[in-house]
Amino acid sequence: MTEVILKLENLTKKFGNFTAVNTINLEVCRGETIGLVGPNGAGKTTTIKMIAKILRPNSGRILIRTNHNELEDLQHVSTTIFQIGFLIDIPNFYNMTAYQLLKYFAKLQNYPKDKLEERIDELLALFKLSDWKHENVKTFSKGMTQKLGIIQAIIHDPEIIILDEPQTGLDPLARVEIRKYIRELQSLGKTVFVASHMLYEISEVCDKIALINFGEIIGFDTVEKLALTLKSSELDCELLEPLRPDKLEPILNRLTDTLEPYLDQNLDPNISKIPIKYRPELQGFQIFYDGNIESKGEILKILVKEFESDFTVTSFAQPKTSQLERVYAEMVENNETKTNGGG
Amino acid sequence: MEGDEEMARKNGNFIGIKPIFYTLGFELKKQRKKFYFFLFIAILVAILVGYILQLIPGFLLSVTQAEFYENGLQFISFLTLFAACLFFSGIICSEFDKKTGFIVFPKINKYKLILGKYLGNLILVVIIVTAFYLMLALFGFYYYGGPINIRLFYSYAVALLYVIALSSFVTFFSSFMRSVNLTIISTLIILLIGFNIADQIVTLVFGDTFEPLYSLAYLGSLITGILQSPFPDPRYVEFSFSGSGMGPFGGGGEFTFGQWITPTITMGLLLLVVNIVFFFLLAALKFKRRQL
Repeated sequence: MTEVILKLENLTKKFGNFTAVNTINLEVCRGETIGLVGPNGAGKTTTIKMIAKILRPNSGRILIRTNHNELEDLQHVSTTIFQIGFLIDIPNFYNMTAYQLLKYFAKLQNYPKDKLEERIDELLALFKLSDWKHENVKTFSKGMTQKLGIIQAIIHDPEIIILDEPQTGLDPLARVEIRKYIRELQSLGKTVFVASHMLYEISEVCDKIALINFGEIIGFDTVEKLALTLKSSELDCELLEPLRPDKLEPILNRLTDTLEPYLDQNLDPNISKIPIKYRPELQGFQIFYDGNIESKGEILKILVKEFESDFTVTSFAQPKTSQLERVYAEMVENNETKTNGGG
Repeated sequence: MEGDEEMARKNGNFIGIKPIFYTLGFELKKQRKKFYFFLFIAILVAILVGYILQLIPGFLLSVTQAEFYENGLQFISFLTLFAACLFFSGIICSEFDKKTGFIVFPKINKYKLILGKYLGNLILVVIIVTAFYLMLALFGFYYYGGPINIRLFYSYAVALLYVIALSSFVTFFSSFMRSVNLTIISTLIILLIGFNIADQIVTLVFGDTFEPLYSLAYLGSLITGILQSPFPDPRYVEFSFSGSGMGPFGGGGEFTFGQWITPTITMGLLLLVVNIVFFFLLAALKFKRRQL
C-alpha cells in the first residue's frame, strides 16, 4: 500500500463568522499528484496557507510523515521548511536578481553550500531563465516570475511540492510549459499538490482530484472514478472528414435510433437537450451515453461497423475536462441541495 | 531516506541563528542603494556644517570644541529620523503589502526573518550615523586639535540609543500599517511635526510643571544636551521679548516663551530604553496576530 505522506484531519479555518475551510479530510500518498479544484473563494489557498503555517487552523490538524517515518502534527515539526516547497498565490519577490534571491532561499532551507551554485544553474536552465540569472526580477514578465516562483519552491529539492494556481495569468504556451515541469517533478517521484480553478490544467497532470466548494471537500478520487458518479457521460467522436449538410439529418436520425439503448435517456437539459449532436468545430459527434463501460464499447462497435459507409471514426474518447466540469457541477449541486435541507 | 545526522543538521539550522544571519546579509544587499544615498547625504551635511559653513566670511567659529560639535549635531536628529523612517518602515508591512511573505514565511520562522531584517537595517543606519560623527570629529580635531572631547562619544552613544528607539517606534507602525509608504508618511509626520507641536502645546499650558518626557523628539535633544558642560541647569528656560504696536493681540507688550532644553541623562536614557522595550513588545504582539 502506498504510504501517506501528508494528511489533513478535520481541518477547519474560520474568519470571524465565515468558515473558509470546513472539516477537510484528505490523504496524500508519496509520489502522487493531487489536484485541489474549486472556484475562487472555495478555500484552496486557505488550505495551502495552513499547510505552509501562514495561517493557524481553528480546529483539526495537518499531519506530515517525518524522517522518523511517523505522521506527526505539522505544528510541532520544524522540518516542513525542508520537506515542503510552496508556491502560494502570484509570487512577489524582493527587488533583487534571480540569482541573489535563489541563493538566499536555498541557504534558508539549508541546501548544501557546495552544490548550491550548480543547483541554481540547473533549475534556471530547466526553466529557460539562464540568461536572466543576474537580472533584477522587476524586469521579469509574468510568465518568468511564475517560473521563478516554481523554482523557489523546488530549489531545496523538497519531497512535497505545493503549487497554488501555478498557471494563473499565463499565456497558453507558458501554461503548457508549467504542465511539462509538473510532469517532470512527477517523473522525479515528487509528491505534487496543485490547487487551481482551471479544470483542464488539473485534469491533465493530476492522478487524483479533490473537489472543494465553500470550504468542503465534495469529492476526492481519480477523474475516471469521479466520472462514474455522473448520471451520464460524454463521448467525443471525431471523424476523418466533415459530414455533408444534406447527409447530416438522416445520419443523426439513424444514429439516435441505433444507439438508443446506450444513450442517456434522462439527460439533464442544462447539459444538452439531445443525446447526440454533430459539432462542426470538432468535426464529429458529441454523444451522451448512460455511463456504462460496456455501452461505451458497444457504441464504438456500432459507429465503426454500421456506419462504415457514412463516415470514418478517427478518435473516440471521453473528454476529461468536460467530464470533470460536469462532475464538479453535479457535486456542487448535490452539496447545495444537502446543505439547504432538500433532496 | 536521510540519516539522523542529516536530520540533526537540518533541525540545528532551523533552531539555530543561521537563518537570521542569512537574512541580515541579504538585507544589507537589498538596502544598499538606500544606504549609499543616506551615507552620501550624511557626509555631505557633515562637510557642510563642519567645514564649508566655517569658510563663509563673518561666520564665527565656535569657542570650544564641544560647542562646535553641539552646533554640528543639530542636524543629527533629522538624519536619524529620516533614516529610521525610510529603513525600518518596510520591515514588517512590506511582507504583507507586497505579499513577499508568501514566499519567505514558509522558509523561515517569521520572527527570525524580522529580526534578521531589523539587524541588517540597524547596521546600515548605525554606519550612517557613525560616518556623520566621524566626519564631525575629524573637523573638530582639524579646528581645535586633540584630544577629541569625550562628550562626543557620550553623544554618539545616546544617538545610537535614540536610533534604536526610533526604529522600535517605526517597526511598531510597520507591524499594523497596510503599506510601506503609509508607514513612512505617518511616522515622519508624528516624529517630525506631531511630537513638536504636542511639546509646544504642553509647554504653553503647563510651563515648567510638566516635562514632555512622552516625546521621542524631546528625548532626542539629549544627543546635543549631553555635550554641554556644565549640563544645563535649570533645564527649563524662558525667553522674554517685547514687541510694540503690531502683533496678534494688538498693542504690543512683553512675551514670555518657555522651553524644555533636555531631559536629565538618567531620565533620558531610561525613557529611551522604556520606549524601545514598549514599542518592540507592541510590534511583536501586532505581528503575531497579523495574517497574510
